[in-house]
Amino acid sequence: MSEVAHLLELEGVQKHFGGLYALSGLDLHVDVGEIVSVIGPNGAGKSTMFNVITGLYGPDEGDVRFRHDSIVGLAPNRITRLGISRTFQTVHLFPNMTVLENAMVGQHCRSRAGIFGSILQLPGIRREEERIRQRAKESLAFFGSRLAGYRQDQPAFALSYANRRRLEMARALATDPVMICLDEPTAGMNPRETLELRDHIVRMRDELGLTVLLIEHDMRVVKGVSDRVIALDYGRKIAEGTYEEVANDPQVIEAYLGTKAVG
Amino acid sequence: MGGVTLRSVVRAGAAGGVVAIYVSLVGLYTKFADLELVGEQVTLGRVLLTAPAILAAYVVTRPRVVAGERRSVPFGNGVAIGLVSGLVTGVVFAATVWFADWFGVERIREVFVQISPQLIDFLTFGKGVPAGLPVLVGVCVVSGAVGAFARTAPASVRAPVLVGVLAVLLLGLLQRIVPIVLIELGVEADWLYSPVTGGLTWLGGLGIFGAAAAASILWKREGGRARERVRSTVREAPAARLGLLVGILAILAVVPLLLGTVISEVLGQVMIYVLLGLGLNIVVGYAGLLDLGYVAFFAFGAYTTAILTGAFLNTTTGAAEPALSADLSFYVAVGIVALLAAGVGLLIGAPVLRLRGDYLAIVTLGLGEIVSIITASKWAQPLIGGPQGMRGVTKAEVFGLNFQDDPQDFYYLALAFVLLALFVSWRLAASRIGRAWNAMREDEQVADAMGISTIKFKLLAFAIGGAVGSLGGALFAVSIGSLTPASFEIFVSITALAVVILGGLGSLPGVVVGALVLIGLPGLLREFEEYRLLIYGGALVAIMILRPQGLIPNVRRSRELEEGETSQDAWAKGATGEAEAVAAVMPGGALGGETEELE
Repeated sequence: MSEVAHLLELEGVQKHFGGLYALSGLDLHVDVGEIVSVIGPNGAGKSTMFNVITGLYGPDEGDVRFRHDSIVGLAPNRITRLGISRTFQTVHLFPNMTVLENAMVGQHCRSRAGIFGSILQLPGIRREEERIRQRAKESLAFFGSRLAGYRQDQPAFALSYANRRRLEMARALATDPVMICLDEPTAGMNPRETLELRDHIVRMRDELGLTVLLIEHDMRVVKGVSDRVIALDYGRKIAEGTYEEVANDPQVIEAYLGTKAVG
Repeated sequence: MGGVTLRSVVRAGAAGGVVAIYVSLVGLYTKFADLELVGEQVTLGRVLLTAPAILAAYVVTRPRVVAGERRSVPFGNGVAIGLVSGLVTGVVFAATVWFADWFGVERIREVFVQISPQLIDFLTFGKGVPAGLPVLVGVCVVSGAVGAFARTAPASVRAPVLVGVLAVLLLGLLQRIVPIVLIELGVEADWLYSPVTGGLTWLGGLGIFGAAAAASILWKREGGRARERVRSTVREAPAARLGLLVGILAILAVVPLLLGTVISEVLGQVMIYVLLGLGLNIVVGYAGLLDLGYVAFFAFGAYTTAILTGAFLNTTTGAAEPALSADLSFYVAVGIVALLAAGVGLLIGAPVLRLRGDYLAIVTLGLGEIVSIITASKWAQPLIGGPQGMRGVTKAEVFGLNFQDDPQDFYYLALAFVLLALFVSWRLAASRIGRAWNAMREDEQVADAMGISTIKFKLLAFAIGGAVGSLGGALFAVSIGSLTPASFEIFVSITALAVVILGGLGSLPGVVVGALVLIGLPGLLREFEEYRLLIYGGALVAIMILRPQGLIPNVRRSRELEEGETSQDAWAKGATGEAEAVAAVMPGGALGGETEELE
């Protein structure tokens, strides 16, 4: 197994809160250029998995490897700098900063202006600031006219719900990631917005060359975008494969319906 | 009556009465009974006597939200409400005075030392208890009407009258300062300030009232346009911006020469607190880390400056050399002080990195106390003099300017430091670093997940904030030349925080205005020295209730909101314009002429 070049690899990851095991020996891997969807009932450990990958929680046991190197114990900001970016299940923006500034924060880890440079505004620092601004605008432009024009100078709290979700993704894109983790990106969106977002996820892979790890409840989205689907239950992988394989897996059906599958 | 019930009027009036009794108990009336503001009749004591009834009526006639709609109280109703509220205030107050007289002033005085026959005499206008009480009630009733007027009169009348009255009161209060300044400027002032009473003459008072009211009317009519014109010129022409900057600097440069020693000295003190406020603003306003022990940096800056510039320890037998001492020039020393203070910032920051909010505040409070106690301890005596302190701090003379003995010269040194700190704060706020602090303040965990090293930027805030605060300490040491632990108590932390909060967290002009109000006004009004804390407390409570965002809130954020709306309109207009243009060239569109051509 290990000679295969996986981008991200989780091996025997355990995470418990008190007596509750959110993850109990999770193994999974993501390869370069894949869109992998993670499904599972509420409380299956999907978001905990994201938090372990991005460094918000340390695993109690097991290892998380990104490009062959263990990232366990690294601070979230270090992991972001390595190239894993994320969005949150409930939108977490910087509400009083403008839309553009929110996206500019994403470029923070790709820039280096220090105290003295910032105070003196040397030409190099000004160029860097200009580059940050351009890069932030590019990532906002990924969503077409949704985050364009006057909206960029509005505070983030003034955005509609769907636009907040988009901005959160734009901010994650602005960190110049290799892999992006989207935690239920379509939650709370209407069917049209969901369809639009499905295209965006595919574009992230095809146009930006990103690897996408996705937690999603909307099966139309999962079906439409996934190269591979992984089903979790009780903090463990219960099925893996194409959408059809996983959707017809008896264990998955049982996990969702709560009883032995009929017929 | 516009949502105002009789019960709320009586309650407000009674509250006014209680305030009046409180003001009597703390001795404000007797203390200021003879401080003439205008002529011989309008004394500060009498103004204060009317204040509780005015305030009560002003508060109770406020606009209310009835069924989701904000309703102002009509003028006529307002005055009626004010009269009733004033009557209640007067009755409560007069009844208490009557009771005090019946019970025996001397017996009360054993507990409340400020209650004296003079107070009773003052409150009854010299007529004695039964006869003077109706006058007291009458004064309160009229005051109530005045308070209601101040809230409910039409704005075109209310604004000029209020501005006029406030201007007269302010200039009356500044009677020890303004005449000196006028003499300095070579202006004949006897018509304005009476040499006999010290306060304004009636002519002067009326003149000021008229001038201020006229200015208010003019501002209302032309001010907005003038401001807009200045703003657009400055925005469009870089030369105008430079000119404005040079103009401001020139005014700042001549201020001490025009206004003289007394005001220069006060401004020097103000600027020390501007520095403290700017430093604390970086920690609290930018990075969102509530630091209640900021006095640590002030003390560190002051004592380190003293040690590095060859000050002596005070001892019972005279002077002694500190355990560590250097004899550097102030200008070399101050750089070292700032660097070391940044290091102390890291030391204080390191143990509290994981703490947030209340916990951080409590720990920093403790760290600040530790520093205060060390400055006064025997243990630190060989280094910084302990309870006896140090003296002989350098005068930092340069170009023949004496910064210690001449407040006018010190002003320039302080101004240079303040401008430097303002520049640093301004540039940092607008940089990648400021953005990182902003993000961290809004949501620490998310900022971390978006690639901002929160540990690094917290430490950076503590270090830079500490360095700026230590400059305040260094200036303080130079300005007074000798240090004692009494200058480095928790009160410094509280005052610095009050300056930042009063002005508006994260706002640089706010820090300046906060320091002018909290340090400058008390510095000019020395008469109020005893009541300084009472006024601080009152001012902070009032600001938190009436204007929690501060006197001059962080402009960037309020502007974002404002411009967001206007640019939205502009954008929408542009978008429809484009749509029309597209429709115009479309074949088969509504515009017949062009379609014909195309066909």
